[in-house]
Amino acid sequence: MEEKRYVLDLRGEPCPYPVVYSLQVLAELESGALLEILADCPQSFKSVPEEVVKAGYEMVEPPQKIGPTLRFLVRKP
Amino acid sequence: MGEIIKSYYQKVIAEFWDQKTAVVLLGILSGLYFGTVGVVWAVTGEFTRWGASFLKLIGVDLSPYTYLKIIKYKGTVLTRIDGVMVLGMFAGALIAALFGQNFKLRIPTAKRVLQALIGGIIAGFGTRLAMGCNLAALFTGIPQFSLHTWFFTLGTIFGTYIGIKITLSPYFRGEPKLVKASEFNAGNLKANTQIQPFLGWLGLIVFAGILLSRPEMPNNLKLATVFGFAFGFLIQKGQVCFTSAFRDLWLVGRTTTLKALVWGMAVQMLLTAAFIAKGTPAKVLWAGPNALIGGLLFGIGIVIAGGCETGWMYRSMEGQVHFWFVGLGNVIGATILFLVWDKGVYKYLAEPFPKFSLIEHFGYLPAFILTGLFLLGLYLWADLREASGRSMIKNKTMSVRRV
Repeated sequence: MEEKRYVLDLRGEPCPYPVVYSLQVLAELESGALLEILADCPQSFKSVPEEVVKAGYEMVEPPQKIGPTLRFLVRKP
Repeated sequence: MGEIIKSYYQKVIAEFWDQKTAVVLLGILSGLYFGTVGVVWAVTGEFTRWGASFLKLIGVDLSPYTYLKIIKYKGTVLTRIDGVMVLGMFAGALIAALFGQNFKLRIPTAKRVLQALIGGIIAGFGTRLAMGCNLAALFTGIPQFSLHTWFFTLGTIFGTYIGIKITLSPYFRGEPKLVKASEFNAGNLKANTQIQPFLGWLGLIVFAGILLSRPEMPNNLKLATVFGFAFGFLIQKGQVCFTSAFRDLWLVGRTTTLKALVWGMAVQMLLTAAFIAKGTPAKVLWAGPNALIGGLLFGIGIVIAGGCETGWMYRSMEGQVHFWFVGLGNVIGATILFLVWDKGVYKYLAEPFPKFSLIEHFGYLPAFILTGLFLLGLYLWADLREASGRSMIKNKTMSVRRV
Protein backbone atom coordinates (compact mmCIF):
# COMPACT_ATOMS: atom_id res chain seq x y z
CA MET A 1 0.00 0.00 0.00
CA GLU A 2 1.24 3.47 -0.82
CA GLU A 3 2.38 5.48 2.15
CA LYS A 4 0.50 8.72 2.65
CA ARG A 5 3.23 11.30 2.73
CA TYR A 6 2.89 15.06 2.49
CA VAL A 7 5.09 18.12 2.55
CA LEU A 8 4.34 21.44 4.24
CA ASP A 9 6.76 24.08 3.03
CA LEU A 10 6.84 26.95 5.52
CA ARG A 11 10.12 28.48 4.48
CA GLY A 12 9.87 32.27 4.74
CA GLU A 13 7.03 32.24 7.30
CA PRO A 14 7.85 33.98 10.60
CA CYS A 15 6.59 32.98 14.06
CA PRO A 16 4.03 31.97 15.12
CA TYR A 17 2.84 30.64 11.76
CA PRO A 18 5.11 27.56 11.60
CA VAL A 19 3.58 26.18 14.83
CA VAL A 20 0.05 27.27 13.90
CA TYR A 21 0.20 25.80 10.39
CA SER A 22 1.86 22.56 11.51
CA LEU A 23 -0.76 21.82 14.15
CA GLN A 24 -3.58 22.83 11.86
CA VAL A 25 -2.42 20.62 9.00
CA LEU A 26 -1.70 17.63 11.26
CA ALA A 27 -5.23 17.86 12.66
CA GLU A 28 -6.59 17.57 9.12
CA LEU A 29 -4.43 14.67 7.97
CA GLU A 30 -5.59 11.06 7.89
CA SER A 31 -4.36 8.68 10.54
CA GLY A 32 -1.03 7.07 9.68
CA ALA A 33 0.07 9.88 7.39
CA LEU A 34 3.62 11.23 7.38
CA LEU A 35 4.19 14.97 7.21
CA GLU A 36 7.48 16.56 6.28
CA ILE A 37 7.70 20.15 7.49
CA LEU A 38 10.26 22.58 6.08
CA ALA A 39 10.84 25.89 7.86
CA ASP A 40 13.56 28.50 8.24
CA CYS A 41 12.38 30.59 11.19
CA PRO A 42 15.11 29.62 13.72
CA GLN A 43 12.80 29.61 16.70
CA SER A 44 10.80 26.79 15.07
CA PHE A 45 13.73 24.45 15.64
CA LYS A 46 12.52 23.93 19.18
CA SER A 47 8.94 25.18 19.19
CA VAL A 48 7.60 23.06 16.31
CA PRO A 49 8.85 19.62 17.46
CA GLU A 50 7.93 20.30 21.09
CA GLU A 51 4.42 21.50 20.32
CA VAL A 52 3.81 18.73 17.79
CA VAL A 53 4.72 16.09 20.37
CA LYS A 54 2.66 17.82 23.05
CA ALA A 55 -0.35 17.70 20.73
CA GLY A 56 0.02 13.92 20.47
CA TYR A 57 1.93 13.44 17.20
CA GLU A 58 5.12 11.51 16.78
CA MET A 59 8.49 12.87 15.65
CA VAL A 60 9.79 10.12 13.36
CA GLU A 61 13.37 11.40 13.53
CA PRO A 62 15.18 14.15 15.48
CA PRO A 63 14.77 17.67 14.07
CA GLN A 64 17.26 18.31 11.28
CA LYS A 65 19.11 21.52 10.63
CA ILE A 66 20.58 21.87 7.16
CA GLY A 67 22.29 25.26 7.32
CA PRO A 68 19.43 27.68 7.97
CA THR A 69 16.77 25.23 6.76
CA LEU A 70 14.88 23.15 9.31
CA ARG A 71 13.26 19.84 8.50
CA PHE A 72 10.86 17.85 10.66
CA LEU A 73 9.28 14.48 9.93
CA VAL A 74 6.06 13.85 11.84
CA ARG A 75 3.67 10.92 11.88
CA LYS A 76 0.02 11.17 12.81
CA PRO A 77 -0.82 8.08 14.87
CA MET B 1 40.85 15.83 24.40
CA GLY B 2 40.28 16.90 20.79
CA GLU B 3 36.85 15.30 20.89
CA ILE B 4 35.90 17.19 24.03
CA ILE B 5 37.00 20.52 22.59
CA LYS B 6 35.08 19.73 19.42
CA SER B 7 31.93 18.94 21.34
CA TYR B 8 32.20 22.15 23.39
CA TYR B 9 32.77 24.14 20.22
CA GLN B 10 29.70 22.56 18.72
CA LYS B 11 27.56 23.30 21.77
CA VAL B 12 28.75 26.84 22.45
CA ILE B 13 29.49 28.19 18.98
CA ALA B 14 27.46 26.21 16.47
CA GLU B 15 24.23 25.16 18.14
CA PHE B 16 21.40 27.05 19.78
CA TRP B 17 21.67 27.41 23.54
CA ASP B 18 19.23 26.23 26.11
CA GLN B 19 16.87 29.16 26.45
CA LYS B 20 16.76 29.31 30.22
CA THR B 21 20.57 29.34 30.43
CA ALA B 22 20.71 32.23 27.98
CA VAL B 23 18.01 34.20 29.81
CA VAL B 24 19.54 33.74 33.26
CA LEU B 25 22.88 34.92 31.83
CA LEU B 26 21.08 37.91 30.33
CA GLY B 27 19.60 38.62 33.76
CA ILE B 28 23.01 38.55 35.40
CA LEU B 29 24.62 40.64 32.67
CA SER B 30 21.89 43.27 32.65
CA GLY B 31 22.18 43.53 36.43
CA LEU B 32 25.93 44.09 36.04
CA TYR B 33 25.33 46.51 33.17
CA PHE B 34 23.12 48.57 35.47
CA GLY B 35 25.77 48.49 38.19
CA THR B 36 28.79 49.31 36.03
CA VAL B 37 27.50 51.53 33.20
CA GLY B 38 24.77 52.99 35.39
CA VAL B 39 21.81 52.61 33.03
CA VAL B 40 19.13 50.00 32.44
CA TRP B 41 19.47 47.69 29.42
CA ALA B 42 16.98 49.28 27.02
CA VAL B 43 16.69 49.87 23.29
CA THR B 44 13.55 51.79 22.34
CA GLY B 45 14.70 55.12 23.76
CA GLU B 46 17.49 54.92 21.20
CA PHE B 47 15.03 54.09 18.40
CA THR B 48 13.11 57.26 19.37
CA ARG B 49 16.32 59.26 19.06
CA TRP B 50 16.84 57.84 15.56
CA GLY B 51 13.38 59.12 14.62
CA ALA B 52 14.27 62.51 16.09
CA SER B 53 17.56 62.62 14.20
CA PHE B 54 15.75 61.87 10.96
CA LEU B 55 13.26 64.69 11.53
CA LYS B 56 16.13 67.04 12.37
CA LEU B 57 17.85 66.02 9.16
CA ILE B 58 14.82 67.04 7.09
CA GLY B 59 14.66 70.38 8.89
CA VAL B 60 12.10 69.89 11.68
CA ASP B 61 12.61 72.08 14.75
CA LEU B 62 12.80 69.65 17.65
CA SER B 63 12.94 72.20 20.49
CA PRO B 64 9.20 72.08 21.36
CA TYR B 65 9.14 68.35 22.05
CA THR B 66 9.65 67.78 25.77
CA TYR B 67 9.72 63.99 25.42
CA LEU B 68 13.17 64.29 23.85
CA LYS B 69 14.41 66.02 27.01
CA ILE B 70 13.06 63.17 29.15
CA ILE B 71 15.02 60.65 27.09
CA LYS B 72 18.08 62.95 27.00
CA TYR B 73 18.30 63.32 23.25
CA LYS B 74 21.70 64.60 22.26
CA GLY B 75 24.85 63.60 20.46
CA THR B 76 24.94 60.81 17.88
CA VAL B 77 24.54 57.07 17.94
CA LEU B 78 28.32 56.80 18.48
CA THR B 79 28.44 59.14 21.48
CA ARG B 80 25.42 57.76 23.35
CA ILE B 81 25.59 54.81 25.72
CA ASP B 82 22.34 53.35 24.35
CA GLY B 83 23.58 54.02 20.82
CA VAL B 84 26.81 52.04 20.99
CA MET B 85 25.08 49.35 23.08
CA VAL B 86 22.48 48.87 20.33
CA LEU B 87 25.24 48.70 17.69
CA GLY B 88 26.99 46.13 19.87
CA MET B 89 23.77 44.11 20.01
CA PHE B 90 23.48 44.06 16.22
CA ALA B 91 27.09 42.90 15.97
CA GLY B 92 26.64 40.21 18.60
CA ALA B 93 23.45 38.88 17.03
CA LEU B 94 24.98 38.85 13.56
CA ILE B 95 28.07 36.97 14.70
CA ALA B 96 25.98 34.49 16.69
CA ALA B 97 23.81 33.88 13.61
CA LEU B 98 26.90 33.34 11.43
CA PHE B 99 28.45 30.96 13.97
CA GLY B 100 25.30 28.83 13.84
CA GLN B 101 24.97 29.04 10.03
CA ASN B 102 21.59 30.68 10.54
CA PHE B 103 22.03 33.55 8.18
CA LYS B 104 19.78 33.49 5.17
CA LEU B 105 17.96 36.27 3.34
CA ARG B 106 14.31 35.41 3.79
CA ILE B 107 12.06 37.54 1.63
CA PRO B 108 8.56 38.08 3.03
CA THR B 109 5.33 38.36 1.04
CA ALA B 110 3.72 41.78 0.65
CA LYS B 111 1.10 40.84 3.21
CA ARG B 112 3.70 40.04 5.85
CA VAL B 113 5.54 43.30 5.13
CA LEU B 114 2.30 45.17 5.79
CA GLN B 115 1.82 43.16 8.96
CA ALA B 116 5.39 43.91 10.08
CA LEU B 117 4.95 47.66 9.55
CA ILE B 118 1.54 47.94 11.23
CA GLY B 119 2.58 45.79 14.18
CA GLY B 120 5.90 47.59 14.49
CA ILE B 121 4.25 51.03 14.54
CA ILE B 122 1.67 50.01 17.19
CA ALA B 123 4.37 48.40 19.34
CA GLY B 124 6.78 51.32 18.93
CA PHE B 125 4.10 53.82 19.94
CA GLY B 126 2.93 51.71 22.89
CA THR B 127 6.39 51.04 24.22
CA ARG B 128 7.37 54.69 24.31
CA LEU B 129 4.02 55.65 25.85
CA ALA B 130 4.89 53.25 28.68
CA MET B 131 8.52 54.49 28.74
CA GLY B 132 10.03 51.12 27.89
CA CYS B 133 9.55 47.85 26.05
CA ASN B 134 9.85 44.26 27.16
CA LEU B 135 13.24 45.35 28.52
CA ALA B 136 13.01 48.61 30.50
CA ALA B 137 9.35 48.07 31.41
CA LEU B 138 9.53 44.31 31.94
CA PHE B 139 12.67 42.19 31.91
CA THR B 140 15.06 44.87 33.15
CA GLY B 141 12.28 47.10 34.56
CA ILE B 142 10.63 44.82 37.10
CA PRO B 143 14.03 44.34 38.82
CA GLN B 144 14.14 48.15 39.21
CA PHE B 145 11.20 47.85 41.63
CA SER B 146 9.16 50.47 39.77
CA LEU B 147 5.42 49.87 39.96
CA HIS B 148 4.78 51.08 36.41
CA THR B 149 6.42 47.92 35.07
CA TRP B 150 3.69 45.82 36.69
CA PHE B 151 1.02 47.83 34.87
CA PHE B 152 2.97 47.46 31.65
CA THR B 153 3.28 43.70 32.09
CA LEU B 154 -0.43 43.25 32.76
CA GLY B 155 -1.23 45.41 29.73
CA THR B 156 1.11 43.31 27.62
CA ILE B 157 -0.51 40.06 28.76
CA PHE B 158 -3.94 41.25 27.57
CA GLY B 159 -2.51 42.93 24.51
CA THR B 160 -0.86 39.76 23.26
CA TYR B 161 -4.22 37.95 23.55
CA ILE B 162 -5.87 40.54 21.33
CA GLY B 163 -2.85 40.41 19.03
CA ILE B 164 -3.29 36.67 18.49
CA LYS B 165 -6.95 37.13 17.61
CA ILE B 166 -5.88 39.57 14.91
CA THR B 167 -2.95 37.42 13.75
CA LEU B 168 -5.18 34.36 13.40
CA SER B 169 -7.92 36.28 11.60
CA PRO B 170 -8.51 34.87 8.12
CA TYR B 171 -6.81 37.78 6.33
CA PHE B 172 -3.48 37.61 8.16
CA ARG B 173 -3.45 33.89 8.79
CA GLY B 174 -3.63 32.89 5.17
CA GLU B 175 -3.83 29.28 4.12
CA PRO B 176 -1.13 26.65 4.51
CA LYS B 177 -0.49 24.72 1.32
CA LEU B 178 -0.19 20.98 1.75
CA VAL B 179 1.58 19.12 -1.06
CA LYS B 180 1.79 15.38 -1.73
CA ALA B 181 5.38 14.29 -1.23
CA SER B 182 5.47 12.68 -4.66
CA GLU B 183 4.72 16.04 -6.27
CA PHE B 184 7.07 18.14 -4.23
CA ASN B 185 10.51 19.31 -5.15
CA ALA B 186 12.33 20.93 -2.27
CA GLY B 187 15.22 21.99 -4.45
CA ASN B 188 18.70 21.66 -3.07
CA LEU B 189 18.49 21.98 0.70
CA LYS B 190 22.24 21.78 1.11
CA ALA B 191 22.81 25.51 1.07
CA ASN B 192 26.40 26.54 0.99
CA THR B 193 26.69 27.98 4.49
CA GLN B 194 29.95 26.44 5.72
CA ILE B 195 31.65 29.77 5.19
CA GLN B 196 29.43 31.53 7.72
CA PRO B 197 31.33 30.52 10.89
CA PHE B 198 34.56 31.82 9.33
CA LEU B 199 32.86 35.12 8.56
CA GLY B 200 31.66 35.13 12.16
CA TRP B 201 35.22 34.81 13.49
CA LEU B 202 36.39 37.46 11.07
CA GLY B 203 33.59 39.73 12.28
CA LEU B 204 34.61 39.13 15.88
CA ILE B 205 38.19 40.13 15.09
CA VAL B 206 36.99 43.29 13.31
CA PHE B 207 34.71 44.12 16.24
CA ALA B 208 37.52 43.72 18.77
CA GLY B 209 39.87 45.64 16.45
CA ILE B 210 37.51 48.63 16.26
CA LEU B 211 37.22 48.80 20.04
CA LEU B 212 40.96 48.41 20.64
CA SER B 213 41.94 50.95 18.01
CA ARG B 214 39.93 53.78 19.54
CA PRO B 215 41.84 55.02 22.61
CA GLU B 216 39.83 58.26 22.54
CA MET B 217 36.57 56.39 23.10
CA PRO B 218 35.41 56.80 26.74
CA ASN B 219 35.56 53.66 28.81
CA ASN B 220 31.86 53.55 29.64
CA LEU B 221 31.04 53.61 25.92
CA LYS B 222 33.45 50.73 25.34
CA LEU B 223 31.92 48.81 28.19
CA ALA B 224 28.40 49.46 26.87
CA THR B 225 29.46 48.22 23.44
CA VAL B 226 30.81 44.98 24.89
CA PHE B 227 27.71 44.46 27.01
CA GLY B 228 25.57 45.13 23.93
CA PHE B 229 27.56 42.53 22.02
CA ALA B 230 26.92 39.95 24.75
CA PHE B 231 23.20 40.81 24.88
CA GLY B 232 22.85 40.42 21.12
CA PHE B 233 24.87 37.21 21.08
CA LEU B 234 22.77 35.68 23.85
CA ILE B 235 19.34 36.62 22.46
CA GLN B 236 20.26 35.04 19.12
CA LYS B 237 21.84 31.92 20.60
CA GLY B 238 18.97 31.39 23.03
CA GLN B 239 16.37 32.54 20.48
CA VAL B 240 15.06 34.74 23.26
CA CYS B 241 11.83 36.01 21.80
CA PHE B 242 10.01 37.99 24.50
CA THR B 243 6.94 38.10 22.26
CA SER B 244 6.62 34.34 22.38
CA ALA B 245 6.67 34.33 26.20
CA PHE B 246 3.07 35.52 26.30
CA ARG B 247 1.91 34.76 22.77
CA ASP B 248 2.78 31.07 22.79
CA LEU B 249 1.39 30.63 26.26
CA TRP B 250 -1.98 31.91 25.06
CA LEU B 251 -1.65 30.08 21.77
CA VAL B 252 -0.71 26.54 22.77
CA GLY B 253 0.13 26.66 26.49
CA ARG B 254 3.88 26.87 25.86
CA THR B 255 5.60 27.98 29.07
CA THR B 256 9.32 27.71 28.21
CA THR B 257 10.05 31.37 27.52
CA LEU B 258 7.92 32.97 30.23
CA LYS B 259 9.43 30.70 32.87
CA ALA B 260 12.93 31.49 31.64
CA LEU B 261 12.14 35.21 31.89
CA VAL B 262 10.91 34.79 35.47
CA TRP B 263 14.20 33.10 36.41
CA GLY B 264 16.18 35.81 34.64
CA MET B 265 14.33 38.54 36.51
CA ALA B 266 14.61 36.80 39.88
CA VAL B 267 18.40 36.56 39.59
CA GLN B 268 18.69 40.07 38.21
CA MET B 269 16.60 41.51 41.05
CA LEU B 270 19.25 40.54 43.60
CA LEU B 271 21.97 42.33 41.66
CA THR B 272 19.99 45.48 40.95
CA ALA B 273 18.92 45.74 44.60
CA ALA B 274 22.55 45.56 45.69
CA PHE B 275 23.53 48.30 43.23
CA ILE B 276 20.55 50.47 44.19
CA ALA B 277 21.52 50.08 47.84
CA LYS B 278 25.06 51.20 46.94
CA GLY B 279 23.68 54.32 45.29
CA THR B 280 23.02 53.66 41.60
CA PRO B 281 19.76 55.50 40.92
CA ALA B 282 16.92 53.16 39.96
CA LYS B 283 14.79 53.87 36.91
CA VAL B 284 11.36 54.70 38.31
CA LEU B 285 8.61 56.18 36.16
CA TRP B 286 4.97 57.22 36.30
CA ALA B 287 2.74 54.37 37.42
CA GLY B 288 -0.13 55.72 35.37
CA PRO B 289 -2.54 54.68 32.64
CA ASN B 290 0.23 55.37 30.15
CA ALA B 291 2.01 52.20 31.33
CA LEU B 292 -1.13 50.06 31.14
CA ILE B 293 -2.31 51.40 27.77
CA GLY B 294 1.24 51.36 26.45
CA GLY B 295 1.61 47.74 27.49
CA LEU B 296 -1.68 46.84 25.87
CA LEU B 297 -0.72 48.47 22.55
CA PHE B 298 2.76 46.95 22.80
CA GLY B 299 1.27 43.47 23.30
CA ILE B 300 -1.04 43.85 20.33
CA GLY B 301 1.73 45.25 18.15
CA ILE B 302 4.42 42.69 18.87
CA VAL B 303 2.16 39.74 18.10
CA ILE B 304 0.97 41.26 14.82
CA ALA B 305 4.58 42.08 13.92
CA GLY B 306 5.85 38.66 15.00
CA GLY B 307 8.54 40.09 17.24
CA CYS B 308 9.28 42.85 19.71
CA GLU B 309 12.02 45.44 19.83
CA THR B 310 14.75 42.96 20.74
CA GLY B 311 13.18 40.22 18.63
CA TRP B 312 13.45 42.21 15.43
CA MET B 313 17.04 43.11 16.25
CA TYR B 314 18.40 39.58 16.25
CA ARG B 315 16.06 38.34 13.53
CA SER B 316 17.00 41.15 11.18
CA MET B 317 20.61 40.02 11.63
CA GLU B 318 19.61 36.47 10.66
CA GLY B 319 18.55 37.92 7.32
CA GLN B 320 14.82 37.89 8.00
CA VAL B 321 13.81 40.87 5.86
CA HIS B 322 10.36 40.85 7.49
CA PHE B 323 11.97 42.13 10.68
CA TRP B 324 13.75 45.03 9.00
CA PHE B 325 10.25 46.39 8.47
CA VAL B 326 9.29 45.69 12.09
CA GLY B 327 12.28 47.82 13.12
CA LEU B 328 11.28 50.59 10.73
CA GLY B 329 7.75 50.42 12.17
CA ASN B 330 9.14 50.71 15.71
CA VAL B 331 11.05 53.87 14.86
CA ILE B 332 7.98 55.38 13.16
CA GLY B 333 5.72 54.48 16.10
CA ALA B 334 8.14 55.89 18.68
CA THR B 335 8.46 59.08 16.62
CA ILE B 336 4.68 59.54 16.48
CA LEU B 337 4.57 59.19 20.27
CA PHE B 338 7.10 61.93 20.96
CA LEU B 339 5.28 64.21 18.51
CA VAL B 340 1.94 63.81 20.34
CA TRP B 341 3.38 63.60 23.88
CA ASP B 342 2.79 67.31 24.60
CA LYS B 343 -0.69 67.27 23.09
CA GLY B 344 -2.37 65.91 26.22
CA VAL B 345 -0.74 62.48 26.46
CA TYR B 346 1.66 63.50 29.21
CA LYS B 347 -0.80 65.83 30.94
CA TYR B 348 -3.57 63.25 31.32
CA LEU B 349 -1.93 59.82 31.20
CA ALA B 350 1.38 60.29 33.02
CA GLU B 351 1.93 63.57 34.87
CA PRO B 352 -0.79 63.19 37.59
CA PHE B 353 0.56 59.80 38.61
CA PRO B 354 3.41 59.08 41.02
CA LYS B 355 6.76 57.65 40.15
CA PHE B 356 6.25 54.77 42.50
CA SER B 357 9.25 52.81 43.76
CA LEU B 358 8.51 49.72 45.82
CA ILE B 359 11.83 50.15 47.64
CA GLU B 360 11.20 53.79 48.58
CA HIS B 361 7.65 53.10 49.76
CA PHE B 362 8.03 49.79 51.52
CA GLY B 363 11.74 49.19 52.11
CA TYR B 364 13.99 46.52 50.67
CA LEU B 365 12.57 43.35 52.19
CA PRO B 366 8.89 44.04 51.36
CA ALA B 367 9.94 45.16 47.87
CA PHE B 368 11.71 41.83 47.41
CA ILE B 369 8.74 39.89 48.68
CA LEU B 370 6.23 41.80 46.54
CA THR B 371 8.32 41.48 43.40
CA GLY B 372 8.92 37.82 44.20
CA LEU B 373 5.18 37.26 44.54
CA PHE B 374 4.54 39.04 41.25
CA LEU B 375 7.07 36.78 39.51
CA LEU B 376 5.64 33.72 41.22
CA GLY B 377 2.20 34.79 39.98
CA LEU B 378 3.48 34.87 36.40
CA TYR B 379 5.04 31.44 36.85
CA LEU B 380 1.87 29.95 38.32
CA TRP B 381 -0.27 31.49 35.62
CA ALA B 382 1.97 29.81 33.04
CA ASP B 383 1.56 26.43 34.71
CA LEU B 384 -2.20 26.81 35.07
CA ARG B 385 -2.61 27.85 31.48
CA GLU B 386 -0.55 24.87 30.29
CA ALA B 387 -2.43 22.46 32.56
CA SER B 388 -5.75 23.69 31.23
CA GLY B 389 -4.75 22.21 27.87
CA ARG B 390 -6.43 25.10 26.07
CA SER B 391 -5.27 26.12 22.64
CA MET B 392 -6.26 29.07 20.48
CA ILE B 393 -5.65 27.09 17.31
CA LYS B 394 -9.13 25.99 16.40
CA ASN B 395 -8.69 23.49 13.63
CA LYS B 396 -12.23 23.38 12.39
CA THR B 397 -12.31 27.05 11.60
CA MET B 398 -9.16 27.01 9.51
CA SER B 399 -8.76 25.79 6.00
CA VAL B 400 -5.87 23.89 4.49
CA ARG B 401 -5.30 24.01 0.76
CA ARG B 402 -4.32 20.63 -0.63
CA VAL B 403 -2.36 20.51 -3.84
